[in-house]
Amino acid sequence: MERAVPPTVPLGQMEVFQALQRLHMTIFSQCFSPCGKFLAAGNNYGQIAIFRHSLPSACSLSAALSSEAKEESKKPIVTFQAHDGPVYSMVSTDRHLFSAGDGEVKAWLWAEILKKGCKELWCRQPPYRTSLEVPEINALLLVPKENSLILAGGDCQLHTMDLETGTFTRALRGHTDYIHCLALRDRNPEVLSGGEDGTVRLWDLRMAKEVQTIEVYKHEECSRPHNGRWIGCLATDSDWMVCGGGPALTLWHLRSSTPTTIFPMWAPQKHVTFYQDLILSAGQGPCVNQWQLSGELKAQVPGSSPGLLSLSLNQQPAAPECKVLTAAGNSCRVDVFTNLGYRAFSLSF
Amino acid sequence: MSSESSKKRKPKVIRSDGAPAEGKRNRSDPEQEGKYYSEEAEVDLRDPGRDYELYKYTCQELQRLMAEIQDLKSRGGKDAAVEIEDRRILSCVHFMTLKKLNRLAHIRLKKGRDQTHEAKQKVDAYHLQLQNLLYEVMHLQKEITKCLEFKSKHEEIDLVSVEEFYQEAPPDISKAEITMGDPHQQTLARLDWELEQRKRLAEQYRESLSNKEKILKEIEVKKEYLSSLQPRLNSIMQASLPVQEYLFMPFDQAHKQYETARHLPPPLYVLFVQATAYGQACDKTLSVAIEGSVDEAKALFKPHEESQDDESDSDAEEEQTTKRRRPTLGVQLDDKRKEMLKRHPLSVMLDLKCKDDSVLHLTFYYLMNLNIMTVKARVTTATELITPISAGDLLSPDSVLSCLYPGDHGKKTPNPANQYQFDKVGILTLRDYVLDLGHPYLWVQKLGGLHFPKEQPQPTVIADHSLSSSHMETTMKLLKTRVQSRLALHKQFASLEHGIVPVTSDCHYLFPAKVVSRLVKWVTIAHEDYVELHFTKDIVEAGLAGDTNLYYMALVERGTAKLQAAVVLNPGYSSIPPIFQLCLNWKGEKTNSNDDNIRAMESEVNVCYKELCGPRPGHQLLTNQLQRLCVLLDVYLETEIHDDSVEGPKEFPQEKMCLRLFRGPSRMKPFKYNHPQGFFSHR
Repeated sequence: MERAVPPTVPLGQMEVFQALQRLHMTIFSQCFSPCGKFLAAGNNYGQIAIFRHSLPSACSLSAALSSEAKEESKKPIVTFQAHDGPVYSMVSTDRHLFSAGDGEVKAWLWAEILKKGCKELWCRQPPYRTSLEVPEINALLLVPKENSLILAGGDCQLHTMDLETGTFTRALRGHTDYIHCLALRDRNPEVLSGGEDGTVRLWDLRMAKEVQTIEVYKHEECSRPHNGRWIGCLATDSDWMVCGGGPALTLWHLRSSTPTTIFPMWAPQKHVTFYQDLILSAGQGPCVNQWQLSGELKAQVPGSSPGLLSLSLNQQPAAPECKVLTAAGNSCRVDVFTNLGYRAFSLSF
Repeated sequence: MSSESSKKRKPKVIRSDGAPAEGKRNRSDPEQEGKYYSEEAEVDLRDPGRDYELYKYTCQELQRLMAEIQDLKSRGGKDAAVEIEDRRILSCVHFMTLKKLNRLAHIRLKKGRDQTHEAKQKVDAYHLQLQNLLYEVMHLQKEITKCLEFKSKHEEIDLVSVEEFYQEAPPDISKAEITMGDPHQQTLARLDWELEQRKRLAEQYRESLSNKEKILKEIEVKKEYLSSLQPRLNSIMQASLPVQEYLFMPFDQAHKQYETARHLPPPLYVLFVQATAYGQACDKTLSVAIEGSVDEAKALFKPHEESQDDESDSDAEEEQTTKRRRPTLGVQLDDKRKEMLKRHPLSVMLDLKCKDDSVLHLTFYYLMNLNIMTVKARVTTATELITPISAGDLLSPDSVLSCLYPGDHGKKTPNPANQYQFDKVGILTLRDYVLDLGHPYLWVQKLGGLHFPKEQPQPTVIADHSLSSSHMETTMKLLKTRVQSRLALHKQFASLEHGIVPVTSDCHYLFPAKVVSRLVKWVTIAHEDYVELHFTKDIVEAGLAGDTNLYYMALVERGTAKLQAAVVLNPGYSSIPPIFQLCLNWKGEKTNSNDDNIRAMESEVNVCYKELCGPRPGHQLLTNQLQRLCVLLDVYLETEIHDDSVEGPKEFPQEKMCLRLFRGPSRMKPFKYNHPQGFFSHR
């Protein structure tokens, strides 16, 4: 690692506890602010931290490097306790930040957060069938066309919430185990979901029913029984879909539902996304992988965490100069990549 | 004038008439004027003014003649030649006169020069004389000023003022009528008076001395009388002892201890007083005693003169020894080091009794030259303990009190001034000597009222009672908990080494009834070995693996799965939890960097340790953590997904009741045990 071994300083009870908490921190979710200048990150202790991920004055490479020298700028500008359990997922609209954890989704006003007033706007719980354990919410998805939010997770259903009224309008059932991830197709009002049961299901929102099911683990090319069947990550671009997890990371043609490219990556992948003509993926291991659509590994860029859970691309048109990629996972650090070539610096809880 | 010039002219004219006449006359001149002719003498006779007239006249004549000759020549004529001849003769005569006059002028000039020279010499002589005289005058003046500036000794003597003198001095000394006008006489008289007075005062001084002598003798006599009283009083005290004993009044013993305490150095005295006070007021289990030779301490506290003598004596001895032995430089340095690290002969013993009759013996020393206090600790238990191998360091005097307060490892001197002293005698750190001297923990200094400001090379160090008393209570409580937690660990280690994790009955609710994984090994490892382990990097980087901690390695097994756990035991256990790092050997090596669930297991024992503390004061923490680890391994193995492609039954059938196997993006296993229902859920 690049950090030197610090001198052993005398630690009291509180310091030891805090150091242990930091050591065992996992950052599950990240989300950029609508202005593109701030990054929210949620960890397993239910805290959300807001970082200024690049200096507003200049976001050039040199500024990013100089910010590496300043320890202060790597710390969050504000941290608040959002949930009791982990913060598994976050999405952002023009004004709101939605965060989801164990069984509930909360809304926060960005303007309030940046003023460091951390009071939730509202808190909603999807209608669960009673259970001993409150199901978690693993994925949130905004559907801008119908101004609604889709929640999916532990109870194997997709819940649609109308953002206008705050009511849950429908529930899509079909998965047999819990849902890991969601993806929205841009043209058709269709949603993809991937889950622990090893299937990717395509849902038509207008008809509110399942239109297609792909059982990834049943395809010999990509199945890896020792890793399990689960689909951990999902991304889509017109007729193409890429998914990974227990089975190998695979590019699918949706209309024919056939795997076209299998990416040779042994470790299970936890996040995948399309970026220009590349596919970015991350999972176990410290690297962000960049793939050509043909299946060639273009680059592996190492980060500072032993394992990655989420990637986030800042593509807000409001702040074109702050275009960065951030990656977070099994550590208290969020790695910031100003270009895809290397890690510029890390933000830290 | 004109008549005279004409007279003179006449003979000349005559002479000019013909050369024979001239010759005649030349011959006749000596006859007329003496024996010889001297033009020089002639000069004296002639008047220079007349000669000047003659010269002018001759010149005019010559001009005239020349003009006539010219005139004649220009006119031309027969008789002109004769006329010219006449004129020529006449002009020749005039030339002669001019020659004569020229000679005379030369002679006069020479004479004048001679006279001037003579006069000048005279003037020079006079000038020299004048200078000599001036020099003499100057010398004399200098002498005079010297005399004037001479300082007489009497001026330094402080005299009484003139008015006082005339008032007090008797008239035969003052002699007013003589001295009033004459300052010289007056000064003499005043000096006389001064002498008189001084003689009188000297007399008085002698009298006072004899007086003093007399009084001293009197005092001596009285002192003797007083000292003769002491033995009598002592005998009375002795006689009263049986009475005291009879009446159960241990005045004397307490008195004796206080008597000894008087010889304690200030920090130990502060400690003694505060500990006694605390023991009497708050904690009856604390007993205080003083150990060591009082006589040696007394020797240290003798008055200054004697101690100086001692020093000189020892110096002399040293010189002798150097002569005798000629020790090498190393031996000398050794001696100096010993001298620097010297302890005060007295020490304070504190015995702290815990509830289970185990006793912590603390001996406090004071290093006189370093001005710091050290402590040696020893633990005795009521029943003999079987010492497990891994518990070797738990109760060793070297480490039992390490880090009582965070960071206070007692291996560095707390007095910043000591470093300079060490540099002189070549001691690198105090660390090499602590086994022998005891540990200079910071809390020890505070109990002794010694306060050392940090980062200040020469602080003033004063023993302060308030500092000591403010720390006494917390420190005593900490000491007790430390001893108790160490004793508890000591017992636990004994069974851990036999592979049994002792879970007390009040902690059973934390674990399911059936735990299959077993602890098979519990050994102590060195700090260096811990740092070398490949799965402990995070802890080392976070600065949690200092060299004051104790390190252990546990091995938990179930079937073919082996779980290694490297444990950091902070000296501040059990308020600071032990830290576990795991490495599972089962279907490949799994650590927190490649398996999220191993990471979750670590955080279950390390971060969620508070629910494992059990009843206060939480001495069950370590064993509960180990038991939790066994349970976690069970859950991990039983919930591992079965690879359908591999033939045969599962190695670990699922026996635990779980609501769900996986949850969340990182697919956590249900590690949390819910007590009364007995199922496992996710945290």
